[in-house]
Amino acid sequence: MTAQYALGIDLGTTNSALAYAPLHDDGPRVELLPIPQLVSADTVESRSTLPSFAYLAQSHESGAGSFDLPWAAQRDFAVGEIARRQAAEAPDRTISSAKSWLCHSLVDRHQPILPWDAPDEVPKISPVAATQRYLEHVIAAWEQAFPDAPVADQEVILTVPASFDVAARELTHEAALAAGMPESLVLLEEPSAAVYAWLVTTGERWRHLLNLGDTLVVCDVGGGTSDLTLVSLAEENGELHLQRLAVGNHLLIGGDNMDLALAHHVAGLFGEQGVDLDPWQSVSLWHSCRSAKEALFSPAGPDSHPISILGRGSRLIGGTKSVNVERQQAVNLLLDGFFPHCEITERPVRRRASGFQELGLPFESDTAITRHLAAFLGAHGGDDPIKPSFVLFNGGVFKAEVLRERLLDTLGQWFPDAPTRQLEGTHDLDHAVAHGAAYYGWAKRHGGVRIRGGTARSYYVGIETSGPAIPGAPRPLRALCVVPIGMEEGSQVDVPSGEIGLVLGEPAHFRFFSSPVRKQDQPGDVIQAWSEQEIGETDSLETTLPPVEGLEDNYVPVRFQSRITELGNFELWCVSTQSDHRWKLEFSVREDAEQ
Amino acid sequence: MRLFFAIRVFFKVLFDAATAGRIESLLSGELPAPAAAPPAGPAEATKQRQTPTSSRSDALTLLATMQQEARFLDLVQEPLGEYSDSQVGAAARDVLRDCNAVLQRMFKIEPVVAQDEGTECETPKDFQPGRFRLTGSVVGDPPYRGQLTHKGWEATTCELPTWSGSDLVAQVLAPAEVEIA
Repeated sequence: MTAQYALGIDLGTTNSALAYAPLHDDGPRVELLPIPQLVSADTVESRSTLPSFAYLAQSHESGAGSFDLPWAAQRDFAVGEIARRQAAEAPDRTISSAKSWLCHSLVDRHQPILPWDAPDEVPKISPVAATQRYLEHVIAAWEQAFPDAPVADQEVILTVPASFDVAARELTHEAALAAGMPESLVLLEEPSAAVYAWLVTTGERWRHLLNLGDTLVVCDVGGGTSDLTLVSLAEENGELHLQRLAVGNHLLIGGDNMDLALAHHVAGLFGEQGVDLDPWQSVSLWHSCRSAKEALFSPAGPDSHPISILGRGSRLIGGTKSVNVERQQAVNLLLDGFFPHCEITERPVRRRASGFQELGLPFESDTAITRHLAAFLGAHGGDDPIKPSFVLFNGGVFKAEVLRERLLDTLGQWFPDAPTRQLEGTHDLDHAVAHGAAYYGWAKRHGGVRIRGGTARSYYVGIETSGPAIPGAPRPLRALCVVPIGMEEGSQVDVPSGEIGLVLGEPAHFRFFSSPVRKQDQPGDVIQAWSEQEIGETDSLETTLPPVEGLEDNYVPVRFQSRITELGNFELWCVSTQSDHRWKLEFSVREDAEQ
Repeated sequence: MRLFFAIRVFFKVLFDAATAGRIESLLSGELPAPAAAPPAGPAEATKQRQTPTSSRSDALTLLATMQQEARFLDLVQEPLGEYSDSQVGAAARDVLRDCNAVLQRMFKIEPVVAQDEGTECETPKDFQPGRFRLTGSVVGDPPYRGQLTHKGWEATTCELPTWSGSDLVAQVLAPAEVEIA
């Protein structure tokens, strides 16, 4: 069956969305799918997004049918709005930020570890399984609305953060296939999707808004994560195209941090009145602060805004407490905390690594997005930092004009000669990624400007140097570059290197590294020494070589061959130098422990 | 507290055609007890016009949602006599904001006439009587011209949650909460 629709799925850290475009239309007509979901027990409502939360039912809840959906009965878990609400009241049973766990290579993402730190009686699931459940829900919502167009037959585009490395992409891909998405699934980077969404809304006018050589920094601040990407307008054979130049590191910082910071400030104001807040009230305060942010941040807003915590029981008015929050104070708090003025030479403050590192999510120790931006522009510009001509804001946080202004203002101070401007055009900050992904699926058929860029990172296999062993000391490790930055989809490269000996019938295990900044490295280059900021370790790779009949020696010399498939999937092969045999390396953990 | 009264009236008008017809007398008379609104045997009466799984009136589901998301029932059920205006205002601000969010999401409420009140307004030649209420000296045939005293409201959509719980709890608008220490 041929695909009728392009489906763009934004799998967000805090919210997921699905947009679709009929493939047979001559123009891109992108719509957002309302997603039916539980909003409280027994109650199903359609919302434009699916909160990426999962709630694991207590024993008296499961089996009661309270978590039934039009397409599923007798559930012992629930995803979406009901789970987001439960996050406040039953944090031990609620999974949030599963996506951030997917790219956290210090834990095994196939093990049932979520909710993190939950007591033993809670049945846990793995980050991959949680991701699968969100995707299954979105797919079921689609198939309920479009029963004649099963997802497996459609052109499906799933977005991932640009900063996801190949291991995190592989895990996302795996969860998507398990949820029922087609093999032809394409993973698209979120900031690219945001740019595509901008292209849809501006139509052909974009050619007047961008000039050849212009660079565009996409500043995507979501609920829990931030992503930076640099794109430029290039020309090849007379055709204009967008070139993705660089992506930043995965930053675990977002709008939720800002709501919390504001709530912390307001809790202090309550404290001054002698009101101590219990945990329930603190959560309620967080909600109030989120809602008040809009009023506080609108430039024409009142100078002070009351924030109340409603009484808990049915005596609402009598139990309500409120404080007045000075607008300027609140605005300064968030500006100074998250968007402080800084020099372009400044860098994020790093926490000193202690000997013992706690395994939880690696939240950023420096919350200043401006300093992360300075580091990003500095890392990718050569001698001088890159000067972006435009900035494209994405993420609900940037509905607040003061935050956009502050970022533009800071860029203006860095580049006083030609200040970076905000990209013209309307932009749906909340749903742009899903929209852009659906457009991309449509444009694959119909043509349209594409963003090229290839791999955002270079990849390295760890090779131990040969030489006499020193007791107690590990052999020095070298990094052999197997994928350069910018390797295009649908290409492969034979990595020149010395022969690497593998033993048949035994597992071969390789440490694996990546770098978002080492543009100079080419396949075959061997790096002797590096800093952790430059090259980071990710999941290791392994394969077991089955014995080969007719081969007397069980020792095989191999070289590496790396491939990026047409769909953007990464593959690394060990190719025998003496025969036609080749073996594919896989990321070490393959089995989901609970399945 | 006329606002709350108006909200109550709004629900009645929305869900009960008979009430809508008697709205004038309702405004000058007493409010009926809300619980009396659904006719006897709501499960049987509503089953035919709703999805087969739902066993309670949409009106109850809407009230339950208003309570869950905006604490609407807590506010209107509380006796106001013992509180000052500022106390009521402090609580009402949050409740009203969240009520508005719910109503906008489900009904996308817009004015019937998109112009400022107090300005000159002309009705279409062939308007539905329900869209305009003409006061003062009305003579001749439409279109009528006059001053817009109220721009009116209309729901541009109506997307309510569907409820699929047990008949035994169909009347529960908010469960009792018990915190286990």
